Amino acid sequence: MGIQIARPARAAPALRLPRPLARHGFVYLFVLPSVLLLLGFTVWPLLRTFWLSVQDVNLVRPGSEFVGLANFRTQLADQTLFWPAVWHSLVWTVGSVGGEYLLGLGAAVLLNQPLRGRGLFRMLVLIPWTVPIVIAAMTWRWILQPEYGIGNVLLVRAGLLAEPVYWLGDLSTALGATIFVNVWRSFPFYTITLLAALQAVPKELLEAAAIDGASAWERFWRITLPHLKGVSLALIVLHVVWTFNNVEFIWLLTEGGPLHASETLATLVYRMAFRTFEISEAAALSVMMIVLLLLVGGGYAVLGRRREERRTT
Amino acid sequence: MTSTTWRRWSWPVLLAYACVAVLLAYALFPVLWMVSTALKPTPEIRTAEPTFVPSRPTFEHFGLVLGQSNFLTYVRNSLLVATTVTAATLVVSTLAGYAFSRFGRLPGISLAGVAMVLGQMVPGVLLVVPLYITMNNLGLLDSLWSLILTYTTFSVPLSTLMLKGFFDQVPTEVEEAAQLDGCPPSQVVWRIVLPLAVPGLMTTALYAFVQSWNEFLFGYTFISQDDRRTLTPGLADFIGLWTVDWGALMAAASLAVLPVTLAYLYLQRYLISGIATGATKG
Repeated sequence: MGIQIARPARAAPALRLPRPLARHGFVYLFVLPSVLLLLGFTVWPLLRTFWLSVQDVNLVRPGSEFVGLANFRTQLADQTLFWPAVWHSLVWTVGSVGGEYLLGLGAAVLLNQPLRGRGLFRMLVLIPWTVPIVIAAMTWRWILQPEYGIGNVLLVRAGLLAEPVYWLGDLSTALGATIFVNVWRSFPFYTITLLAALQAVPKELLEAAAIDGASAWERFWRITLPHLKGVSLALIVLHVVWTFNNVEFIWLLTEGGPLHASETLATLVYRMAFRTFEISEAAALSVMMIVLLLLVGGGYAVLGRRREERRTT
Repeated sequence: MTSTTWRRWSWPVLLAYACVAVLLAYALFPVLWMVSTALKPTPEIRTAEPTFVPSRPTFEHFGLVLGQSNFLTYVRNSLLVATTVTAATLVVSTLAGYAFSRFGRLPGISLAGVAMVLGQMVPGVLLVVPLYITMNNLGLLDSLWSLILTYTTFSVPLSTLMLKGFFDQVPTEVEEAAQLDGCPPSQVVWRIVLPLAVPGLMTTALYAFVQSWNEFLFGYTFISQDDRRTLTPGLADFIGLWTVDWGALMAAASLAVLPVTLAYLYLQRYLISGIATGATKG
């Protein structure tokens, strides 16, 4: 969650000790295990992805061959899987994060009101976030099931639907239904984080504005929301990255189906690697995703720095 | 809650409570429905007129899950993985977190700190393919060690940053005094700093445990032998196994979710403040 990459590390309280390296040898030993793990199981695999992406490797037949950028060209020319997946990734990410933020913010504002039982409500609203994705997926598959699923039963009974809908199995609703489930599971994290930020909004400012005749809506829009900007930006960037790269939700709800109707880039990478064994194509897709991630991260760093500058000048 | 000003019943207050009711219904209904389904006999589940409260509650589905499936094997495997990962993460992150907190300016150490921050941002889907190949080369596929190594690597960066935040709050004067009294530096950590950072260690342990307990993708990919499956991929297999037996599926889901949810609710305060510490002080 350390999203402040661009900012130089804050100076830690240093011990006033003599400085020869021999004295600090143990510090390097302390850091060694974590660095080895990171090198072995994060850095090396990433480098390997780059290497795989310019080769022709398939898990079911041995050997490999250097093919340059051919894998990238194949992907970019693919109108049946690649480009629809790009579009689905975009819809999935924007829909999920947008829905989560709005719902999370709404719930945070609501639970920041002086209501009796507020502490309990805050605890209960966190529950969806504690449910493992597998279980969230199982439960919602049951709720959205076309025959006896309670979701359909209630909607039909309320007169909102003429007949039950196969939400996760219909070409037109599959992606929307997965977004809905993702929003349900993820919004509490926004609520809890934004609640903490709401409590840091200076009360004097809100009171002064109220005395000056600002309406509740104006106070929210002009005072509260600007105070939430930093937290919101961090939350959104973090979740854009998480959501864009999430395989579990979609894989467990629809496996990217029906007929790839909910296939995103992330599930496509997984499918290519472990269902059709096209390792190199999967690696090429991964490299494109890494580039996109770096763009998002870089954009966030620039935005963060600008905010910082504006604050200091 | 401390400074709650209790207003009289008025329309805005009633409206707020109504909104809270809707919000909680939305958040909690699926979980309650899961438990309700698990407790119903099959004819009550497969009906066009379902009721919320089971009219004849039964534990038959729980019996099926516990007695006639590998559920308990999955739980055992998950416990094994999660406790090992937690222990390993605590050792590795304590050492690194302390080094970053006290000696973050030494050449190379600050670089490793930046690497930690970046490392935790790398998404799993980009690592699952190359790590599968690595584990294959190491001969660790179908071994719980593949998961232990992977999960430890994934939980170390944030744990390290969280612990660094906790160590930053332990005053250095205590350590200086101990060193002046002749305590060697390695002992200072063990005897002086660690006891002061126990809340931080608890938070980190919970984070590492829940992370590996809930992880799905790598467990699903690296392990194919049924008796080595961990809980989350095992549950996903049930979907295929008991396609229409929703009572059994929901019983398995209930059994798997309750311990984690209760632990979370009990410890949420520590966890969230810990994550916030790691996130803001990275």
